[in-house]
Amino acid sequence: MQITPQLLFGQLLVGLINGSFYAMMSLGVAIIFGMLRIGNFVHGAQYMLGAFGAWFLLQLPVLFPGLGLPSLNYWWALILVPLGVGALGALMERFLIRKVYNLEHAYGLLLTIGMTMVLEGLFNVRFGAAGQQYGVPDLLQGGFNLGFVFLPTYRLWVIVVALLVCFGTWWLVERTKLGSYLRAATENPDMVRSFGINVPLLLMFTYAFGVGLAGLAGVMAAPIYQVSPQMGQNIIIIIFAVVVIGGMGSIFGAIVSGLALGMIEGLTKVFYPQAASTVIFLIMALVLVLRPAGLFGKETSAHSGTDVVTARSDSILENGRLWLVILGLAGAAAPFLVYPVFAMKVLCLALFASAYNLIFGYVGLLAFGHAAFYGSSAYVTAHAASVWGLPTELSILAGVGMATVLGALFGWLAIRRQGLYFAMITMALAQIVYFFILQSPWTHGEDGIQSVPRGKLLGFIDLNDPLAMYFFVLAVFLLGFAFIYRIVRSPFGQVLKSIRENEPRAISLGYSTDRFKLIAFTLSAMLAGLAGGTKAIVFQIASLTDVFFSTSADVLLMTLVGGVGTLLGPVVGAVIVATMQKELAGLGGWVVVVQGLIFILCVLFLRKGVVGALEDLLSRRAVRRRDAAAADRIAAADRIAAEKR
Amino acid sequence: MSGTGADYIIEAKGLSKQFMGFMAVQNVDLKVRRNSVHALIGPNGAGKTTTFNLLTKFLQPSAGQILYNGEDITALKPDVVARKGMVRSFQISAVFPRMSVSDNVRIALQHKLGTSYHFWRREASLNVLSGRVDELLEAVGLLDYRRHNAAELPYGRKRALEIATTLALDPEMLLLDEPTSGLGHEDVDRIAALIGTVAKDRTVLMVEHNLSVVSRLSNTITVLARGQVLAEGAYESVSQDPRVIEAYIGGADV
Ligand SMILES: Nc1ncnc2c1ncn2[C@@H]1O[C@H](COP(=O)(O)OP(=O)(O)OP(=O)(O)O)[C@@H](O)[C@H]1O
Ligand SMILES: [Mg+2]
Repeated sequence: MQITPQLLFGQLLVGLINGSFYAMMSLGVAIIFGMLRIGNFVHGAQYMLGAFGAWFLLQLPVLFPGLGLPSLNYWWALILVPLGVGALGALMERFLIRKVYNLEHAYGLLLTIGMTMVLEGLFNVRFGAAGQQYGVPDLLQGGFNLGFVFLPTYRLWVIVVALLVCFGTWWLVERTKLGSYLRAATENPDMVRSFGINVPLLLMFTYAFGVGLAGLAGVMAAPIYQVSPQMGQNIIIIIFAVVVIGGMGSIFGAIVSGLALGMIEGLTKVFYPQAASTVIFLIMALVLVLRPAGLFGKETSAHSGTDVVTARSDSILENGRLWLVILGLAGAAAPFLVYPVFAMKVLCLALFASAYNLIFGYVGLLAFGHAAFYGSSAYVTAHAASVWGLPTELSILAGVGMATVLGALFGWLAIRRQGLYFAMITMALAQIVYFFILQSPWTHGEDGIQSVPRGKLLGFIDLNDPLAMYFFVLAVFLLGFAFIYRIVRSPFGQVLKSIRENEPRAISLGYSTDRFKLIAFTLSAMLAGLAGGTKAIVFQIASLTDVFFSTSADVLLMTLVGGVGTLLGPVVGAVIVATMQKELAGLGGWVVVVQGLIFILCVLFLRKGVVGALEDLLSRRAVRRRDAAAADRIAAADRIAAEKR
Repeated sequence: MSGTGADYIIEAKGLSKQFMGFMAVQNVDLKVRRNSVHALIGPNGAGKTTTFNLLTKFLQPSAGQILYNGEDITALKPDVVARKGMVRSFQISAVFPRMSVSDNVRIALQHKLGTSYHFWRREASLNVLSGRVDELLEAVGLLDYRRHNAAELPYGRKRALEIATTLALDPEMLLLDEPTSGLGHEDVDRIAALIGTVAKDRTVLMVEHNLSVVSRLSNTITVLARGQVLAEGAYESVSQDPRVIEAYIGGADV
């Protein structure tokens, strides 16, 4: 390909525009994270709201014909929409986000993911996936011919406004009294409160402000990109990567990295177009190796585990041998009671969720990219079975191998950071796998690998027989379940637990906690791969959904609904979520909305999940009984002493 | 003071730590004599915990050198230092809350079995440690609580559990950060007695605000103020030192 100056400068300009949006969005995410400690995943959806807001204002007469409303143009939108979206943000903060401030960071992320699903789902139901057009305002039509490149006026306008907004905000937060109050409010809320400042209100304004920025970005994006419900979906993961690169909590870092990464992305389109969609994530990986705190970030050493698990290891619900037998029996009966294909789906998902629980529940690391392991294994298995013609068991093994290698690599990169960072990093790394699979010729893009032969197990068991297939899947599940139980109840599992409970203390006892976490992560990826490979054989297909972000969210939802850190939680969660998806399938687009609502409700009201809540009940009863017995013993001793006197 | 290097288990030279321009610890020289109880005292914010973090490598010093048994450990990681026999406690109680009391101790004991990476081995393989776990719990008076979750213990018992866990490693040297803070009278006495017993054949470096505990237990005292060593010596001499009195009154909040 010939690289002409026109091409080069043209792409640089596109990169600068994209970078302007990245900067504005990352700025909001960085402020919200820095001040509120919330990983605002819903930022992408709020950006989408901004774009739709502008479109609504323009369409007012069409949308509400009877009211005689005027059509409000771009300039009105530029003022009204950020305020409106900001106000909506304030409401979200007041009724949802505020509830999770004092919880582990993971919940903020989970809550905002639920909100995203609801918002995007609703718009999808109402407007469909197709985009709406929004014209460039009259005043900003036309452009300048700079000789080497044509610069449309509107794009110049976007760049100038973005720069003004970004650096204005930076100045506001870092250089003014208001900003210093804000910073103090997060570091020491009690002290600020004693100055007579209303801290909750301050935080609400901060969130509304960050969200307003997303709304503004949305309005500015409307004339450039399509206004569609999904427009915020990909950008939010990029934004998270930008914030990791810039260094979390660094506003300046977010702005500069946003602009620079947009341009780098543009340049990549010129020199190596295949990598354009992944270059930001690759840079993130590189930055993590060289400067774990990000380019402008300060070193942080926050250790915190997820605070969800209540399971006492002596609880009957945690007795793996017992449940292995029960699940085996129930599994053997299942194909005669329910549709076998559905039962197999549940088994694959249950194994996947149990694998995920190993890292989230037992180590306390919020991983958010397990679709990469599940999906890549599905693809490799499918490819090995249909193109290489490997026997079924070897095909699955190849998939598992792939997932294990990826797991070790991603783990090695991500283990350097904790909490929310860990989630954002695994999410971004998984996105590399998604784009790689989307673009590689052997994966057949949107079609996926279809008609995967089930083949003969060990050369003589024909898996095309539905029952043979079913019992093979059941065996794989039980094997995986038993293996996970063994890991959790091993000397290694004990150390994992201690890391989850108190990492600095585990270090002070001489454990190289990073190495333990890495091994656990790799094992978890490996088992997720086993689930994915088996799934590819059962359903005879590997498709893009398997590697997509939504699959990572699904597995998290299953684990959460069932009970994080409990033995049975993921299994129960898989049954619930799969049943729900099946029952709701008739509702079409509403499924996502309902799932999002369940996410939100779980985070707010059922953090321990179904099994966790049950464990809680049992454990309280056990403690009461034990204390009562102890009290009896003491009373008896007192009586004897009294009698002696 | 005279003596060869072998007399000292730890020698820190010119230790400094800077937090974003603020010198929390400044050019501190600290020598801890083998098999002694050495107390580190000073007003709030003097840099005591930071010094602990530096010695145990939880923080990387901005400058200075740390020798442990004559070996330079300045570049090592905290878990490596712990495996060399220098084990710390934390200022706020550091137990594993949702593990049982006996599992808390066992997690430290299982180290020496060398099977901690064995994810394929049964947990029952750790049962060989039960006897030793019970001994340690007995020693700190927690045997009756062994099936409780650590989170359910009262604060004083948590601190005792921490000491039992630390002792399970059979460390050559213990660093205790305010082991009696937040405890009632009885608990203070019990923990102090425990430290006294423990220190018979080990080295203890402790941060402690309770001066009666300090005077009862320690052979040597180092006073830290504003990140620097203010005085060092036996309790009698240090407590008479006008600069120390001044620092404490100046610090006011002790
Ligand atoms: N991670 C950190 N980042 C920034 N400043 C810190 C950090 N850790 C400690 N400091 C500061 O260093 C100084 C010394 O703190 P340190 O915790 O060592 O004091 P201390 O002597 O243990 O006090 P206390 O008796 O209250 O426990 C304090 O001013 C503290 O604010
Ligand atoms: Mg301290």
